[in-house]
Amino acid sequence: MTAHGPYRIVILGGGTAGWMCASGLAGLLAAADYDITLIESDEIATVGVGEATLPHIKTFNDMIGIDEAEFMRETAGTIKLGIEFVDWLRPGVRYIHPFGTFGDRWTNADFQHHWARARLAGTDSRSLQDYSFAVAAALANGFEHPNTDPKSIRSTYSYAYHFDAGLYAAYLRKWATARGIRRMEGKVVDVVRDAESGDVASLTLASGAEVSGDLFIDCSGFRSLLLGQTMEVPWVDWSDWLPCDRAFAVPCTGVEPLTPYTRATAQRAGWTWRIPLQHRIGNGYVFSSRFCGEEEARQTLLGAIDGEALDEPRLLRFQAGRRQVGWAGNCIAVGLASGFLEPLESTSIFLIQAATIDLAGLIPRRGEKVDPRMVREFNRLFSVHYDRTRDFLVLHYTANERIGEPMWDHVRNMTLPDSLTHKMALFRESAAAPEYRLGLFSRDSWLSVLEGQGVLPSAANPLTHRLSAADLQARLDDLAERIAVNAVDMTPHAEFLASYCASEAKAMPGVPANAA
Amino acid sequence: MSAVRDITLLGRDAPLWLAAAALRRALAPAGVTVRAVALPDENGVADLYATLPAIEALHNQVGIDEAALLRGVRGAFTLGQNFVDVSGAGEAPFLHSYGAFGTGINGGDFFPHWVKARRHGLGVGLDDFSLTATAAHNGRLFIPDEDSEIYGRSDYGYHLPAAAYAKSLKAIAQHLGVVVFETASVAVERSDDGIAALLLDDGSRVESALFADLTREGLLREGLLRETTDGAFEAWAMPGDRMLTALAPRFAALPVYAEIRAGTDGWTGLFPSLTQTHVVHVFSSAATSDEAALQAAATVSGLALEATTIRALAPGVASVPWAGNVIGLGEAACSFDPIHGLGLHGLQLGIVHLLGVYPAEGDSYAARRAEYNRIMRSHFARVADFQVAHHTLQKYAGPFWDVARALPVSDELANMIDFFRARGELAPQEDESLPPDSWRVLFTGHGIVPESWRPAVDRVPPDEVTIHFRKMLGFVREQVLRQPTHDAYLARILQRPHG
Repeated sequence: MTAHGPYRIVILGGGTAGWMCASGLAGLLAAADYDITLIESDEIATVGVGEATLPHIKTFNDMIGIDEAEFMRETAGTIKLGIEFVDWLRPGVRYIHPFGTFGDRWTNADFQHHWARARLAGTDSRSLQDYSFAVAAALANGFEHPNTDPKSIRSTYSYAYHFDAGLYAAYLRKWATARGIRRMEGKVVDVVRDAESGDVASLTLASGAEVSGDLFIDCSGFRSLLLGQTMEVPWVDWSDWLPCDRAFAVPCTGVEPLTPYTRATAQRAGWTWRIPLQHRIGNGYVFSSRFCGEEEARQTLLGAIDGEALDEPRLLRFQAGRRQVGWAGNCIAVGLASGFLEPLESTSIFLIQAATIDLAGLIPRRGEKVDPRMVREFNRLFSVHYDRTRDFLVLHYTANERIGEPMWDHVRNMTLPDSLTHKMALFRESAAAPEYRLGLFSRDSWLSVLEGQGVLPSAANPLTHRLSAADLQARLDDLAERIAVNAVDMTPHAEFLASYCASEAKAMPGVPANAA
Repeated sequence: MSAVRDITLLGRDAPLWLAAAALRRALAPAGVTVRAVALPDENGVADLYATLPAIEALHNQVGIDEAALLRGVRGAFTLGQNFVDVSGAGEAPFLHSYGAFGTGINGGDFFPHWVKARRHGLGVGLDDFSLTATAAHNGRLFIPDEDSEIYGRSDYGYHLPAAAYAKSLKAIAQHLGVVVFETASVAVERSDDGIAALLLDDGSRVESALFADLTREGLLREGLLRETTDGAFEAWAMPGDRMLTALAPRFAALPVYAEIRAGTDGWTGLFPSLTQTHVVHVFSSAATSDEAALQAAATVSGLALEATTIRALAPGVASVPWAGNVIGLGEAACSFDPIHGLGLHGLQLGIVHLLGVYPAEGDSYAARRAEYNRIMRSHFARVADFQVAHHTLQKYAGPFWDVARALPVSDELANMIDFFRARGELAPQEDESLPPDSWRVLFTGHGIVPESWRPAVDRVPPDEVTIHFRKMLGFVREQVLRQPTHDAYLARILQRPHG
């Protein structure tokens, strides 16, 4: 075994995907067995709008040993307790998809059954939102680390981060290069393939340098230089279900209070995001070019921001979908090179993380070759991650009452994936909510969006009747009160950041855009 | 369709009464009436249920006390099934035990470290790292406590003589308020979307909104849906189609596991209960006559057999477990190969998932029915994959096993086996009801030696792993020595006053 040299991994592309993947592999693999090179070019701009994350990133950071306070300080990071959806059901209605649970499981029945029972009996008029501590804390603009005592209501939430994607990539670059990842500056001008196997043998840089390797990780973004262009893995198009295909992005100055959540506001032909960082607010308008011109979209965005624009809005073009497989031959795509889902539920970074962790378990060991059995397992997990996320995103669109707006009429009336139709029908009929082992989004996540989008149960599970109506109402009242009382004295988010991880980053001294 | 405040179960023996008791206990507070229409008992004295540890949770829900149950039915504990080759192929035996192997190392799983160590010449097998397996090999029970739970799961199942178990469950069901009818046969009165009523021998008519079919032959499905696609029963090609059951004297020291002996023309199972050894012999009618099977069972068990009966097996799954207003539960929905003792496991899965979608309220239950069908088919497929893995991976000698080896393998299972062989890992699946360590011991027991392991394992220096391993082995030995023998523990239970 020692006769073999270290296994050579070449990562093409910096940015969030490249550096997360490099850091993950550096953190999860034995350093002596792998030789990891990352090629990036300062001439190629990264997309870098994925500034909001899901709680899973904390697991990833912990797994590879990243210090939270340092990481937040260096990326101008803030706390994210959930996503607020504004005007999605119809104008004037808002709800939060919180990172936490709704209530407890009583009498062998999940909480929403008890909630549904009391609601249908007319004894309880609260929303599920009132049974989430994360929602209460978010609306109070508070944050403290969750309590580790599972009996405390303050243990019932988790959190993610907002951060500056450019600073994040730079932070991970420093972290990964300090752990033995080699960085090469350069642009790839040619991909050399093995004549027999068709595998990628080496990459030729503009400088003429030849970078050879055993395994190539494609983090080249939308171009998908290795998996898409070289290996010719076909694209699976989901734009029938997710018609948005453009985004304008623009940062603006911060405003008070510093909210510990992302906001997604429905617009005529899509939605705008608002991601508060320590030094600025990230904004964007994701829209469908079928239903909205670019100039109109640009104006909509500039009209929707809270602070002063710090730059000209930048246009991105994309299509919803994924590659048929994420791993072909000796090439694996991570990030945008593998597929794209709009940032509605901040899934991009999770998909990078999932691919990295899966790869770290399936990658050849020193002296081994790519094994088709590992490739098959990687691709099975790859499609599960993407497909489950897709259904969840489509739910936000299709269950809407924005009648008379062409895009919203279209998504309300389109034919849905069978898997989603069933989930919605089952919840309406019985309050049973989706639950699965693989892939993103827990039952609580589904519940928040189902209720928020007006999909309401018409019956509850009979096991709930093992509590009397009076006992149930007493428990519900107690829970709602504990949540409300405890949220009141949370440390303000801004105060938490100032004492824990104050950043020195300044808002870009850009030229304010011509506001409409 | 409207809110379903009553359900009528048709069946016999333990499955009927277990389902009736569980549904009644769970649904009575919601005002649901549970009726049981009982066909004549079929269980003989030789019949026995071997259960998985999970049955304890269902028993707890129904309110069954473990000690009282074992006293009442003269049952025994089981820590697993020992698979032994007597076919002459020379395969090493392995114990499918109901506990976990090893404990985590630096926050990582134990198993990949063991895989790596084996590749580097470690001579210690998985069982030495398991409290349950080591106890079983030493003739002792393992009763978990706080320390052992931190180390890893150590569970047990039961061997329950079927007739006594049914009697005990029937009393509980009646006590809980299940309305009981008894009849020698049953006829069906149709309605537009299913069954309107069951017609009994004495002329009574049992009307119900919902029916559950617990008969092993799927009487209601057959009666109702014979000509429709929903009525299809997909037969599984398992190697055995006949099963002999018999009684034999108990062993002097009561074994704490079942033994499954693979002969050339089938397998013979020895299941100890408190007072007897229950013997099962499964064979193929195409190759073996009943007389020859009886001879083989006696030879392979080495025991004097009595109370022998032989019946046909029909393993398979209902295409649509819940069709119209008739819900298949237990063998009416899915009949497993008896080799792993999963009969009550399939029933339990059905009860649990039916309770998850029981339509006591609401105008329609179409989505809940679809969900039950989706989730049951998926669960049954996983369990069937486990059984097919056993059959296709074994290397026993004889025509019975040649047929077994050639069984069709699902894509999911093929992928699982390939992936385990390649990396020693289990490809995670939805709706998996068997613990990961059951899969691991099945694969390794049949001789799969993973070629590689998860690379993260290489971050822990081998010397450090060796120290962890030594600690584990010491802990297991020490814990097991403190455990009672099976006989001693059962004697303690039996001594307690009744009531």
